[in-house]
Amino acid sequence: MSIGHRHLLVSWLALLFLAVVEFGGSLIHFDRSLRPLLLLPALAMVALVGVMFMRVQRGVAPARGFALAGLVWLLLLLGLGMTDPLTRAVYHVRHDITGNAAR
Amino acid sequence: MSDEIAPHLHFQYASADHQSDTAIVGMWLFLATEVLFFGGLVLAWMFCRHWQQAGFDAGGRESVLTIGTINLVLLLTSSCVYSSGLVFIELDQPRRLMQCCIVTACLGLAFLVLKSWEWLIDIHEHLFPSMAHFKIIGPDEGGARLFWSFYFVATSLHALHMLIGIVAVCWIAIQARAGRFSAKWATPVEVVGLYWSFVDVVWIVLYPLIYLVGRGT
Repeated sequence: MSIGHRHLLVSWLALLFLAVVEFGGSLIHFDRSLRPLLLLPALAMVALVGVMFMRVQRGVAPARGFALAGLVWLLLLLGLGMTDPLTRAVYHVRHDITGNAAR
Repeated sequence: MSDEIAPHLHFQYASADHQSDTAIVGMWLFLATEVLFFGGLVLAWMFCRHWQQAGFDAGGRESVLTIGTINLVLLLTSSCVYSSGLVFIELDQPRRLMQCCIVTACLGLAFLVLKSWEWLIDIHEHLFPSMAHFKIIGPDEGGARLFWSFYFVATSLHALHMLIGIVAVCWIAIQARAGRFSAKWATPVEVVGLYWSFVDVVWIVLYPLIYLVGRGT
């Protein structure tokens, strides 16, 4: 087995390990608003695939630039998209039986 | 550079390396646009779940975890096998590359078969969001319908990308069988590998969003 194949095998085992961690984490009961933290092992898996299978670090400078640009665009999209829901204060208003807001 | 050394060299490139780098950079640019394409879906998931947490999680609990998990393992394995093929061609073993491509395509097909079966189960369970007799009723119904809308759109788009990837991998296998690739010329193998791994990355992100976050709440 060549060194390249050995590295791929180790990466595949690491990916399976991270998948098990992610799956195991989902069995733990914790607050609903914190459940998206289950994405953390997935992000590590994405980084591993990017480095070991897509060889992003071995690409020429423009290729690495586009990979980085994709990441930055994604962060901008998600960050700006979630700014409103994460900063909005919701005030609950009581309604009377006619549907009008009560003073 | 002579035609014997680089028979695939097009006239507009200074060298084979220049042509190869251009193809790989082009694929990375395409993948960056794909990140934005799927990023919109992830944003939709975050936005809708933020306002409808209970309904979204109720919807997520109905997803078929077993098939989703098997599919994750299938895709991780397929990416590893395809990358092995790339290493083989760098060692000048085109026959091994062809074998790796066939295994990769079979794993991809197995993914699609399982996904189709899962869709049938979902529809049979009355989880299609526009169904009149939706499975989840009560206060969580609206959020659950939103979740299943996200599920069907996201998995359909991913399956479409898988289908394109399988065709590309089969094309690489045919070309490898015809002896078109060698240690000196394997750019198309690398470019298709980038696309295949990206499809894998998309599923790595979709898996927790669909199958895991809603469970355990």
